[in-house]
Amino acid sequence: MLAIISTNLTRRAARTVLTASGIAVGVATIVALLSFTQGLRETAAGLVHLGGSDLGVFQANVADPTASILPEAMVGRLAAQPQIARATPLLLLVEAVRGDPSAIVFGADPRGFFTASLVLTAGRRAGATPGRIMVGERLAAKLKLRVGGSVTVKGRSYTVAGIYHSGIFFEDYGAVMDLAQAQTLSGHAGEETDVVVRLTEGTRAADAAKAIERAFSGVQVITDPQQALRAGANSTLISKAILVIVVIALIVGSISVANTMAMSIMERQGELGLLSTVGWSPTRIALLILGEGVAVSLLGAAAGLLVGVLGGRLLVSALGVSAYVSPSITAWGLGRGLLVGVAIGVLGGIYPAWRVTRMTPLRALAGT
Amino acid sequence: MNAPSGADVVVDDVSKSFGRIAALRGVSLRLKPGEAVAMAGRSGSGKSTLLALIGGLERPDTGRVLIDGQPIWAQPRPARARREVVGFVFQRHLLLGALSARANVEVPLIGAGAHRAARHERAMSLLEEVGLADRAEHLPSELSGGERQRVAVARALANEPRLLLADEPTGALDSVTSERVFDLLFRLRDRLGMTLFVVSYDRSVGDRADRAITLTDGQIDSEHPPAGR
Repeated sequence: MLAIISTNLTRRAARTVLTASGIAVGVATIVALLSFTQGLRETAAGLVHLGGSDLGVFQANVADPTASILPEAMVGRLAAQPQIARATPLLLLVEAVRGDPSAIVFGADPRGFFTASLVLTAGRRAGATPGRIMVGERLAAKLKLRVGGSVTVKGRSYTVAGIYHSGIFFEDYGAVMDLAQAQTLSGHAGEETDVVVRLTEGTRAADAAKAIERAFSGVQVITDPQQALRAGANSTLISKAILVIVVIALIVGSISVANTMAMSIMERQGELGLLSTVGWSPTRIALLILGEGVAVSLLGAAAGLLVGVLGGRLLVSALGVSAYVSPSITAWGLGRGLLVGVAIGVLGGIYPAWRVTRMTPLRALAGT
Repeated sequence: MNAPSGADVVVDDVSKSFGRIAALRGVSLRLKPGEAVAMAGRSGSGKSTLLALIGGLERPDTGRVLIDGQPIWAQPRPARARREVVGFVFQRHLLLGALSARANVEVPLIGAGAHRAARHERAMSLLEEVGLADRAEHLPSELSGGERQRVAVARALANEPRLLLADEPTGALDSVTSERVFDLLFRLRDRLGMTLFVVSYDRSVGDRADRAITLTDGQIDSEHPPAGR
């Protein structure tokens, strides 16, 4: 049976390749989207634990956590909570750095734990000195910045006072300036994006989150990456869009395979009639058709996995958005792509296989 | 090769129409076990339809076809009867072009679920039987018309049928090659004891058969010698 399936596919090589290509496109799209979702999740993890914090307090019901706006007075009130050891405000400026819009600039209190946790590798701290900024080592490498050089943020030039390392991707691929300067630059005087918090020893993040949300109306506390993804309407939209795309790929792919297989069946009526004549049961013939569909789908899925993995990386690199999202390949992501590919083959082969079982051998032979 | 016994075939008042065209009208016929019967008739007289009904390739509108007393279409799986009882040879060889002669002979055995080694051995044995062992790995396109038809005969014998149905098996061959193919069919019948039902325009086939019948406009017109002689 396998030999016949293989022969049938290779003798119509062009058709096999075209059908497999269609499936490959669908699978590649799914794999790339899943890897981006995973990348987003990891990105969100970086945003949650900025400065080595345990949790972040954001404005509730915002489209994206970076769009949150809180009053500066929140910090003092939060710091007074019994579960909280330290709290410090952050103002995030996105798409602000000339030369690399994916870098984030953090407006931070020079005396807060966020700034204190940065390890200087060159120069000195910027403090509250006007016109001074510290740059993460990854961004410095990318933009070839040195101490004493300049970097443009929102159209204004800043002198690089120091270069730091933190171990958190977003921080190392970003820059840190005095909170007050960032507020002025962005027009958010007296405001911050979020407050990052370190808890007292022994306090569970989930318990603290509940207590904070009870005490402060209109805020949301994010303690884990999943929550960060859910908190952003954009992220939710992406997740739902991926589901829709997977289903569309499944439907379109199945129809495409069914169409190709059905045409193939019409052309091969005589051959299938012969198999029936020599005693092949309808079930066995249907399995042959189904097997061909699955084999084509597996070929397409394998190619799609490869294209999805490589294409995702190339796309992110070409668009220069690697700081926000970089594809993260997981075995489960690849497995889901493969499953969709096989499902396309099975679903696409069902109708042609059913048609074959309805033909009488004589009528099928008449089609030769 | 095991010698299968011939099937006992009864065609009982069978009629078949395709749309408004009556292909067969109340045909009754018996093929005794091991008997070789030749059937002649003009084009459109219903010969191929009768063969298809006997072989379970199509259902009769009325009447019954019994093989060894069992109606073929009353069985839960007619494909099984085709697999276990009947072998077909058609005017066109109907070999699968992408498969070698050996693989073509193996096709019915795949349908029967035979193991690879057993299939291979059986196919080679049959190709030897029809004198084509040395052409086993050739594609149909690399064989002559007569050789292709001999491969088709070997394929028809793959599952050791007790009834061999041949529908103008030499219709596309020259007279010398036709003679060889008929020699093969009758020799196999003599050696294996199967029931043989052959449709042919060739009068000499009727002479070689135990009985010859003529079909005209969907009815049996003449029978030589008469049934029951």
